[in-house]
Amino acid sequence: MKEGLYRKIGYFCTFTPKELIHAAGFTPIRLLADNTPINRANAYIQNYCCSQVKGCLEKMLNGDLELDGAVFTRSCDSLMRLTDIWELNSNIPVYDLEFPTNIGDKSKGYFLNELLDFKKWLESLNGDEKITFDNLKDSIMLYYDLDKKLDRLYSLNPEYNLAIKALTSNPAIALDEIEKRLNHLNNQSMNEIEKNIDKKKAKILVTGSICPSTDIYEIIQDSGFSIVDDFCTGTRFFKSDAILPEINNMDDAMNFLIQKYFLKAPCPTKHYDNDRRFAYILEKAKDVDGVIFLLVKFCEPHFFDYPQLRKKIEEIGKKTLLLEFELPITSFDQIKLRINAFSEMF
Amino acid sequence: MIKKLETNKKMGELLQEYYIRGLFEDYRAWITSGGPVEFLYSMGVYPVYPENHAALIGAAKEGVNYASISEGDGYSQDLCSYVRCDIGAIISGNSPVGGLPVPSFLVSANNICNTVVKWYEILSRTYDVPLFLLDIPFIRKEMKENYIDYVESQMYDLIKFISTITGRDFDEDEFYKTAVLSIKGIKSYEEVLRMGAHKPSPLTCFDAFINMAPIVCLRGTEAPINFYEGMKAELDERVKNGIGAVDNEEVRLLWDNIPIWYGLRWLADFFAEHNACLVADTYTNAWTFFGDLDLNNPIRGMAQAYSPIYLNIGIERMAEVVNKLIDIYDIDGVVMHSNRSCKPYSFSQYELQKMLDVPSVIIDADQTDYRVFSQAQIETRLEAFLEMLR
Ligand code: SF4
Ligand code: SF4
Repeated sequence: MKEGLYRKIGYFCTFTPKELIHAAGFTPIRLLADNTPINRANAYIQNYCCSQVKGCLEKMLNGDLELDGAVFTRSCDSLMRLTDIWELNSNIPVYDLEFPTNIGDKSKGYFLNELLDFKKWLESLNGDEKITFDNLKDSIMLYYDLDKKLDRLYSLNPEYNLAIKALTSNPAIALDEIEKRLNHLNNQSMNEIEKNIDKKKAKILVTGSICPSTDIYEIIQDSGFSIVDDFCTGTRFFKSDAILPEINNMDDAMNFLIQKYFLKAPCPTKHYDNDRRFAYILEKAKDVDGVIFLLVKFCEPHFFDYPQLRKKIEEIGKKTLLLEFELPITSFDQIKLRINAFSEMF
Repeated sequence: MIKKLETNKKMGELLQEYYIRGLFEDYRAWITSGGPVEFLYSMGVYPVYPENHAALIGAAKEGVNYASISEGDGYSQDLCSYVRCDIGAIISGNSPVGGLPVPSFLVSANNICNTVVKWYEILSRTYDVPLFLLDIPFIRKEMKENYIDYVESQMYDLIKFISTITGRDFDEDEFYKTAVLSIKGIKSYEEVLRMGAHKPSPLTCFDAFINMAPIVCLRGTEAPINFYEGMKAELDERVKNGIGAVDNEEVRLLWDNIPIWYGLRWLADFFAEHNACLVADTYTNAWTFFGDLDLNNPIRGMAQAYSPIYLNIGIERMAEVVNKLIDIYDIDGVVMHSNRSCKPYSFSQYELQKMLDVPSVIIDADQTDYRVFSQAQIETRLEAFLEMLR
């Protein structure tokens, strides 16, 4: 193991295979903009770039990120350009993982080769220590467990800070906490849990790229809604339709990773056969009373989907609300006002 | 004052012919500007260019009208204005050229931006027609074999896709012929652009912009070859007589990014009045990239040629390209259009500035949406820049 490492690798897209990073001995950290005001970043990228990109860049320029590496994917035009801007202005090693935009059987072989290259890069960061099959299998199992338990927790009583914890810190510690919460819930009788779930509450689907602030969830809940989410900082982090097979060798492990990330809850930065993302959102929309599009200003992938998706959701009789925000969120009042007004429609 | 080229007239005729042809073809595909149109032409499919159409709307100063229509439908004002203009045209069923013909299918290549993936998904839902997404990895540094393999395999899928829809077989000889015409067209276009290296330059980038439609829309047919040969002859004449596009050319400039379509005339006049000539630009020169096609293996060659185009490479590679243009055209300074619409183009500019061999200036605007454009501010900025260069 190389000395003097932070043992952390930052990544920008939920489609980054965290298992490989983890198996190489690093903690994968999803990079998110926060309350850091944006100043220096304005000299590196235009102001019509989304604040998730600008906010992360700001933190890097401020020297706030202690990382051994940063992994980028070409998910949107802003991230694609951020890769170089980042590399040219920091000492953090940069890798761009070319996750295919086209998700389907035809891009599997290509993606496997990309993963193998990524594995090599991770090994080189770790003093050329190879990622062993055992390590990779352990990491896959750890994340599988984490995913399933988060999923279970979200179906009972979502705790948004726990998903965010799981994606920004040591997954084993987050898993521990999640298990404790689940045990606690299990010890409560079903009656008690049901009592806590107010059946009269309107159920709302909240969709967007990221929602790093749990305050927004609270505002929504305080307005009398119960939430189903569709964010990279929530359900999109842990939800995949892939079924864990028997993993006996490296090939099995890599194939499972491809399977897992291809069958992940869909995102507008990817292209799917049969318009899978629209189908997925519409399916979720069926079970709720309304949908809030909570979008980061300038986030093109989500804003492009919005008009047609909204129409289809409204066609099945659900109300919608579009809320745009920028990070850092300087005032929650406006958001509160809009959500309260929306809640009055139910 | 700017001097008009005779060629501009011929361009109008050529485009009109092209538009009319579209009405009578059996199969029409809407395709992105960086898509391999050679497959369409060789299989008798008529290509339609929404980007070109949006540029036309912009040049007609109709950008805000059409963009507002799509904004009324929910499209954010922060999205690429080409998309907003075209969607506005679809919703209104109109445009300066009467709208675009309905597509039989769609071909989108993400080598120019990720925006076109979303744009074409919208089109696919709107018209309920199939979409082929040619997924071209971002070539930030090296072009890996794996990338080319992936793109090449999709070229074969594209052939099957077109075949299934049209019921036509792919003919290798036809394709080869189309590829040869494509290269010839690009070469003759390149020769036109290279005329800007003369001192004084017989053309400005505005002439290049106005006359770029043939290389985009008709690449792979005879038309651009003849057209650009004609244009070149006209420019040769100017050179022979020592006539510059701008009188008293004192400063030679390079334009970066997509034109400000509604402000072409004003900008051209502005620079001419200041004895400055924009002798070249990164936008039209981007098309010369396709010229390095390997004809021994044209399909793999297509994959190789269409992958590392200007908007699909990392910033360091972009800087190499721009510095080469600075060298070829003996440029004194670079005018960068920070274009709100085009993020992959614009977000590289602040870093590029640091890597260029000559000074540069940034002006803020948009390719078709003039609501974000301040003429006075840009003039002040450009005047200061030109002053500094002298
Ligand atoms: S928030 Fe949207 S625009 Fe910003 S990085 Fe994420 S996907 Fe890209
Ligand atoms: S984002 Fe840029 S390259 Fe893409 S369609 Fe818009 S103008 Fe063209």
